[in-house]
This record gives sequence, C-alpha cells and structure tokens, in this order.
Amino acid sequence: MTIGFPKAATRVRKVLPFMGLALVFALAAHPAGAQEVVFTDQANREVRLPKPADRVVSIVIPMASNLIALDGGTKKLVGMNPTAKSAVTQGILGKIFPEAKDIPSDVTSPSFVPNVEALAAVNPELVVQWGDIGEEKVAPLTNAGLTTMLILYGTEELTQGYMTMAGKAIGQNERLKALIDWRDAVRKDLAAKTAFIPEDKKPRALYLQRALTDLAASGTKGNYTEWSIELAGGRNAAAELVGTVTINKEQVAAWNPDVIFLNAFEAELDPSWVYKDPILSLTNAAKNHKVYKLPLGGYRWDPPSQESPLSWMWMANLLHPDVFHYDLRAEMKKAYKTLYHYDLADADIDGVLWTASQGDAANYAQFKAN
Amino acid sequence: MSEGLAARNGIPGGTPTWTRTTLVFAALLALLAVSLLVSLCAGRFGVPVTRALALIWQGLTDPSAPMQAMDERIVLLVRVPRVVLAALAGGGLAVCGAALQGVFRNPLVSPDILGISQGAALGGALAIMLGIWGFPLIAMVFVAGMVALVLVGFLARVSGRTETVTVILSGLVVSSVFAAVVSLLQFVADPETSLPAIVYWLMGSFSSATWERVLIASPGLILGAALLWSLRFRLNVLALDEAEAKSLGVRTERERWLIFALVAVIVGSQVAVSGIIGWIGIVIPHAARLLVGHDHRVMLPASILLGAAFTTIIDTLARTATAAEIPLGVITALVGAPIFAVLLRRHYRERSDR
Repeated sequence: MTIGFPKAATRVRKVLPFMGLALVFALAAHPAGAQEVVFTDQANREVRLPKPADRVVSIVIPMASNLIALDGGTKKLVGMNPTAKSAVTQGILGKIFPEAKDIPSDVTSPSFVPNVEALAAVNPELVVQWGDIGEEKVAPLTNAGLTTMLILYGTEELTQGYMTMAGKAIGQNERLKALIDWRDAVRKDLAAKTAFIPEDKKPRALYLQRALTDLAASGTKGNYTEWSIELAGGRNAAAELVGTVTINKEQVAAWNPDVIFLNAFEAELDPSWVYKDPILSLTNAAKNHKVYKLPLGGYRWDPPSQESPLSWMWMANLLHPDVFHYDLRAEMKKAYKTLYHYDLADADIDGVLWTASQGDAANYAQFKAN
Repeated sequence: MSEGLAARNGIPGGTPTWTRTTLVFAALLALLAVSLLVSLCAGRFGVPVTRALALIWQGLTDPSAPMQAMDERIVLLVRVPRVVLAALAGGGLAVCGAALQGVFRNPLVSPDILGISQGAALGGALAIMLGIWGFPLIAMVFVAGMVALVLVGFLARVSGRTETVTVILSGLVVSSVFAAVVSLLQFVADPETSLPAIVYWLMGSFSSATWERVLIASPGLILGAALLWSLRFRLNVLALDEAEAKSLGVRTERERWLIFALVAVIVGSQVAVSGIIGWIGIVIPHAARLLVGHDHRVMLPASILLGAAFTTIIDTLARTATAAEIPLGVITALVGAPIFAVLLRRHYRERSDR
C-alpha cells in the first residue's frame, strides 16, 4: 500500500479539479440558467439539472445517509433502498432524525430493481443508481424521463467523486467542501505516519464480511474495508484472495491473523463468537484479544460513508496505539455536530463503538469515556 | 425391458458374477478408505501427514484428551467431522438416487424429483433472511423438506391412488412453487448480507461442518440408508412393471411412499447441514449399476460406497484447491455432467447393440 497510496492520491488530485472545472465551465456557458448544474457521472454520462435538486431518491444503499450528511438533514431525501432505511432507522440516525422513518422505501427492491411507478409518485428531481449493475436496472429510470446519476463503488476516489456530484446536485457546495477536506486531511495525516511504519511492523488483519451464515473474507480487489485497513497501517491477512469470497476456518488458521475485524452488518455478531470458536480462538488475534467489530454510526463503518475518517482513526488507534493517538470521542462529537447538527452523548458513543461487548478488548480502553 | 430386468433381478447369477462383485466391493472399499485418509491429511493449514495420522489415531484411541494445539483442533474438530459428513451425505444422496430410479423405473430420476430439495432450500433461504442460523436453521430446513414431500403426496393422490407419473409431475409442481418463493426471497434479500449467504448455501458446502452437525445429520442419513437397504428385495420387485409387481403380492403404493419418506429423511438431513448438492444422486447410481448390475441387493451398497468416496474427493477439492471455498454444486456439476453424458451414451449404445 505504501506504493499504491501515493498513486491513488495523485489520481484524486487529477480528477477533482477537473470536475470542478467542468462545473465552472458549465455555469459560464449557460448564463441564462445561472442555477443549472451539469456534471459527468461515473458511467460517463452527462447529468443536467435545471437547478439544484430538492427531491432526491437513492436506490444505492450508502448514498442515503451520505445525502443526509451532505444536506445536514433528511428533507431532500424523498426515497431510499429498504436496506438503507433499516440501517438509518435502527442506527443512531433514527434517533437524530426520527422523521426518517416516514421516507418511502418502496421505490426499489433491496437488489436495486427500481419500481418506476413508486418512484414517479415521489416526484424526484434526481435518482441515484449504481453504474455497474446492468442496463436493465437503469433503463426503466431514463425511459421514464427521470434524471439519473450513476455511481460506482470501491475506492476512496470513487467515494469522493460521487459525494462531490451529490453535493453539487443538491447545491450544498460549502458543506461538501468541508466533508471532502476533512477526508483528505485525515487521510494525509494517516498516510504520513504509516509511511514510516516498516512493513513487518504492520499487523496482519483479517476482515470478515460475513461470519454467521458462511465465512467470507475480503481480499485485495474492490473492497473498501481492506483499503481502510492498509490506510490505517495494517496488512490484509487475506491478500491472496480476489474480492470477497467464502473461506473456511482452516484457512483462517493458516493465515493466523494478528487482528480480526468483524463486520457491522450482522446484528447478532460480536467478538465472543470468535472467542468461543475452537479454531478461531487459537489465532494470534484472539489470543491477544484483538478482535473488533466495526462500529455502526450514521452508517456502518466498513463501507465508505460520510463517517469514513472516524472509521480510519478508530482502526489506526487500534492497529498502532503507539503511533496514533486520536481522541476518537472528541472527533466523533465534532463530526456529528458538523454532519448532523447533533450533540453526541457519551452513551451514544458507547453504543456506536460497542463498548458493552468489546470494551475489554486489547487497546480498547483508550475509547472509554473520561 | 421388464423381462430382462426380471431375469437380472430374479436370479443371483452364477459364481463368476459373485466373484466379480466381491472384487468390485473390495475396490470400492479401498477407494473410500484411501479418499478418506487423503482428505484427512489435506488442507490449507499445513499438518504433516505423519502428524495428521498420529492425531487421528489419538482421536480414535483417546477421544477425551484435551486439544490445545491448533493442528490437533484442525484435524480433529474441522477435518474429521467434515470428511465424515461429506462421506455420509454422499452415500445418502447416492442411495436415494438408486432407490428412486428403481421405483420410477427411470434412470433420469434424482432425489430432487420429489420437491424435497427445493422445499428444504426454501426453509434455508427463509431462515437466512430472518437472521436465523445454527440449529433452528437446520430444523427449519428439515421441516420444509418434509412439508414439500407431504404436499407432493396430497397432490399426487387422485381418487385414493397414486400413479408414478402423477408423483413426478406433482414433484415438479411443488418444486417450481418452492423455487419461485426462493427467487422471491432472493429478490427482497439484503444484497450485502443475506443474499450472498443464500446464494452460497444454494450451491452447497460442507464448510460449516462440526461434530454437532454430524450428530444432527447422521441419524437421518444412516438410518435412512439402512432402512432403504433393508427394502432392497422390495425395490427389486418395485422396479418391475406395476402389474408384475402387484402379481407378486407387493402393495406398490404403500411401499413406494415408504421409500419416498426415507428419501425425504436422508435428503432433508443432508440439505439441512450442507445446502443443495446436485448430481451425486443421479450420477453415482448409474456408475454403480455399471459396476455391479441392476440388482438392488448389490447396487444399493455399491452406490453408498461410491457416493461416499466421490463426495469426499469432491469436497477435498472444494476446500483445498484455492484459499476460497469452491461451492460444491459447481464441482459436482462440472464433474458429474460429463460423467453422466458418457454413461448415458454408453447405456444406450449397449441397448441398441443388444
């Protein structure tokens, strides 16, 4: 990653100004429609809005909470994926924005098949859909005359790219800049410090994307969590895998990871599952009590979200407690104030960080409330 | 055809046939023993063969010894139960296929014909959707498989009796309905968690094998197979014409349903612990018939041995070939379909030659 990271950073520096430039150009070219928003989405299509959108539907799961953060409220989100809705209403966003439970989720199936009539009923000015799931899940939207923005999943560059598009589309340029700057600042800070950590001092971490039904680990390609692990100064113990695939416990034993990260998707999963398992409990990670479940804040902290920098800091503090000393609780309070205009209570933070089930894990005492 | 079958089934054959059969069984037993041993010594976690064998010996002689080291647990808690489960499930599926092909007098019949697999699949998919795992999932799968069979039974019974063809068609109907509901569940499943889990489960795997699962599945698998074996004479008669069988005093309908119920117990137990595994129930009985002939008295045990060895080998490939677990359904189809094609062509060439 020491090689991969600067390259990725250069790409972002190249891409972002270009997009900004395209926007400026678009604004200059249409003096009559001064409010017009034009940009190229991640499927290389031109998206044109006569004015910043006030009504947005996200068929894509993580974009729903992203939009809430970009706007600082739920007003502009008029429809979302049922899976996103359950994440929003069950997590802390449900507490911050109780009105979110009334946002329609019948606009799409969980597997991103749009319901055009339900979509038309909420009268959206912009619909966000994945750009890589096939034409048959996009065509119904464009055929119905809905302005559609296609986005891609996987890397931080893509995440910043679609956050930028969404922020411009709803006319929240200042908030957008603050969120992107925060991401860049934390990322640079992390990269600068991990650059000095020799490769053999980086713990080998395993991220289990599924554990209870089958055991699925994330390899090197297209998984954001594995990228976060490397950003925070870890190495992927499952680097020989490509993508997220099912493995067996014997393979975990063969890798013998130093740290195990459990997903935030499976509600009933917590570190005790590892400690009770006859095989996993003999890994270095379990023996040294370095098994952590990823937090669930405004969104799950494993995939890219508006809270990703918090996720990176959490991971970095855990992987290298001697190098990183982020005051995570303070950072969280600050971030939630900016993102959601909400004052996080200590009990909220304990809930997000699962201190009840993993408070006694190694290096977790640093996250205790003072 | 039926006369030929009767001749083959009725007469045990001369001494040379029995010698050949003995040899075939010796070879099958050896194949099973070797595949079990190789499977126990192979895996992603490096355990030297001598150490693995020593550990197995220790497990056999002193099963209560505490297991502290990783290699001990890998061999005795991961590999042994997995290999045992794979062998039992493979033997069970094969004997089910053998029995059903006899009952239906049709070589293309496989255990999923009765709707049990799809019923069980629905139970499993539903459990995964509801976030249920472990023993309740297994119970749901088993019950759903049984419900499918009962539905087929009700549908197939017209004016108090059941024709073979109505059983097959009812099985098809019930399978389609259950498959549709499984598709619906996949459609509404969470694409990040339950959907991949359902898909993986539908492709079959022994990756979650534990001793607990062996204990849950083995009574159904072993008892079911043993009872089918005890019905071997009836199967020989049922494989005759309906009229011929009845003239021999067999109550064909009752016996057929007894066999279906046993098949449901075996398939339900297998699907509950390892998902849907195709092809074994159709390919193995063919191969067994090729080796020992049509007489169910030898064909059933040959199917069991061959099915157990085949599944053990396939599962060993699935868990050792790459760091990722390869779904069993993929390998059984890739290996099973060509074998089946060859057997089929051979079968019909022999028939046309005759």
